[in-house]
Amino acid sequence: MNRRKALGGILGFTGVGLASFGGYKYFLGDLNKNKEEIKVYFDVISELIDVIIPTTAASPGAKSAGVQDYIIYYMEDCSSKKEYHNFLNGLKDLQEHCLDAYGRNFENCTIDQKIEQVENLDNNSSSNSLFTKIRNKLLGRSFFNIIKTLTIEGYCTSSIGATKHLTYLPVPGRYKAITELSPNQKSWATK
Amino acid sequence: MTNQKQENTFDAIVVGSGISGGWAAKELTQGGLKTLVLERGRNVTHIVDYPTAWKNPWDFKYRSHLTNKELEERPIQSSHCDAGNKHFFVKDSEHPYVQVKPYKWIRGYQVGGRSLTWGRQSYRFSQMDFEANKNDGHGVDWPIRYNDLAKWYDYVEDYVGISGSSESLSQLPDGVFLPPIPMNAIEQHLKETVIREYSDRVVINGRVANLTQPKKGRGPCQYRNLCSRGCPFGGYFSSNSSTLLDAQETGNLTMRADSIVKEVIYDDLQKKAIGVVIIDAITKEEIRYYAKVIFLNASTIATTAILLNSTSPSFPNGLGNTSGQLGHNLMDHVVNEGAFGTYEGLKDKYYEGKSPGTIYIPRFQNLKNETKDVDFIRGYGIQGKGHRENWQSKATSGIGVGLKEQLATPGEWKISLGGRGETLPNYDNKISLDNENKDQWGLPLVKVDFEYGPNELAMMEHMTKSSEEMLRKAGFKNVGSYRTSPAPGSAVHEMGTARMGKDPKTSVLNKHNQMHDVKNVFITDGSCMTSSGSQNPSLTYMAITARACQFALKQYFSN
Repeated sequence: MNRRKALGGILGFTGVGLASFGGYKYFLGDLNKNKEEIKVYFDVISELIDVIIPTTAASPGAKSAGVQDYIIYYMEDCSSKKEYHNFLNGLKDLQEHCLDAYGRNFENCTIDQKIEQVENLDNNSSSNSLFTKIRNKLLGRSFFNIIKTLTIEGYCTSSIGATKHLTYLPVPGRYKAITELSPNQKSWATK
Repeated sequence: MTNQKQENTFDAIVVGSGISGGWAAKELTQGGLKTLVLERGRNVTHIVDYPTAWKNPWDFKYRSHLTNKELEERPIQSSHCDAGNKHFFVKDSEHPYVQVKPYKWIRGYQVGGRSLTWGRQSYRFSQMDFEANKNDGHGVDWPIRYNDLAKWYDYVEDYVGISGSSESLSQLPDGVFLPPIPMNAIEQHLKETVIREYSDRVVINGRVANLTQPKKGRGPCQYRNLCSRGCPFGGYFSSNSSTLLDAQETGNLTMRADSIVKEVIYDDLQKKAIGVVIIDAITKEEIRYYAKVIFLNASTIATTAILLNSTSPSFPNGLGNTSGQLGHNLMDHVVNEGAFGTYEGLKDKYYEGKSPGTIYIPRFQNLKNETKDVDFIRGYGIQGKGHRENWQSKATSGIGVGLKEQLATPGEWKISLGGRGETLPNYDNKISLDNENKDQWGLPLVKVDFEYGPNELAMMEHMTKSSEEMLRKAGFKNVGSYRTSPAPGSAVHEMGTARMGKDPKTSVLNKHNQMHDVKNVFITDGSCMTSSGSQNPSLTYMAITARACQFALKQYFSN
């Protein structure tokens, strides 16, 4: 809870001016010495992405597609400091929430509890408000924005996602510029 | 020493193996000259050295992303490459340069150079472009006109394979075309609306060096749209897939990769260039090579850097620089990141295969007196591409089953338009050498000092507004544009710095692309350009190279 309050406090300052900017950098600084800690959350991430993209009659979900591995790799080697920080703290907050509300970690919650938690995250990350834009600019994308984007990307570029949920045509061989869309035709996996 | 000289002596030396160097190699070897091609980067053999060409998206550990380490090594190049083609772009950390003002110098140091990763857009310059400097007084007059180049455009287009449509536009001459890559439903819609709403402009099929029909064992294009990884089908034109292979076939080609040209050797007694000094990129050993004819095709900035570094008693300020113009008049095309919009109709239409092409709106400003634009002189063309949103571009909501359905369903049609505009030649836009700071081979760093002037800025604003207007008139919704214009250099169309001209006092090269001062040195890459036009320039480099090679061969055999 303290982390959220701290974030709110910083956002409060930004309305006043950039005086808090240095402070916020300091605030982030010591949290990002290394990116090892993310691995501890492997199980939480695996469960979380499977709520965002679950297995359905149509196709297997994000966990089966191995998206959790991609997210860990991304966080370790590609994420910016802000992203890593927001992502890790988002996971910690989620665990705290689940312990508060259900007395157990996210990965041990029932499916209904998991869905409720993720829907809360979704509802709280309303995307287009000026507040969100300023927040993103200063503090980076929100936890839910990051996990959802990476889950979609990881899934749609996975073998399962691209070939079973979408249509993947590695060597089209020809270009039919105008076709009639057939009923239930799936989107192309790549552009 | 004498022995070494014999071993190291050729009829011709070509510096650089990119799009123009490949052409020089082909023409000179086919003309019978024993030719040494020097390439500063590593060897890249067609097909064999395209390591990512067959990779699926999931074969990349980080998908398309570069890692933080890779970004650190490529602070400049990273905006132009991804995990799939990064090996064809240099690491800035290994090849630093100095930006006096922000300027992106995008480079590919390997056999084939940037012909592996180019955008493949291929448009002729018109008579209007060759007369532009003369008519409005910016820069110096071109020493050639469209008619000097027309048959050479024919010649290279027939060899390269350009898909496109004939349109009878005076500002964009037709050429020798393969069938065009057709337009999809939204592109066709834009074309029809523009014909209806405007009398001064048309939307045409982009002219691209992708083979819609097979040519000499290459292609046809398989519509994978993964060109910049190198094409295992030879579906697009590169030095590697075409000119260098034909040069090899003659038996006259010697290719030396990992060879950084330090300077051109000038003999004050003979009053001509006699060879070049290279530094082996790996061993750092200096070696001399000799030839009667030298073609510099190292790319706009690099060629001029070699000349500036080639000092001698006759040319203390750089080889062939009595005009003082060497390094000056750097140009790049003005680009805007473009306008975009979504379209609610045509939901019953889709496409199959991935087009490597675009649509193109040829220049429509300042063509005739009655359409003169008051804000700026010269003009711009617009490239565009339409597609139906997929997961990459679609805004989604929610989670779970609903989200999955959204991802699997083709979204709305979307189109994006991006202008490419002419940059005026300006003496103050220049490159020079920073002798205080050296690279790992002990060569001075290149210093780039470039900024857009008022004409370019006015054009940028105009291309954004006109693009938005066309999309609105065509019924697009959510029309917007990125107003943050990319840094100069982003078009990767750097031109000028050793311009052609009629007068040796104000230009570096003559109408045959010979240096006015040193007649056996030819320059036919982008540095020879006297003005920049608005067209993507590679096709013009190729035509100019073929033309200059024919002249050089005649000279060679008549001497």
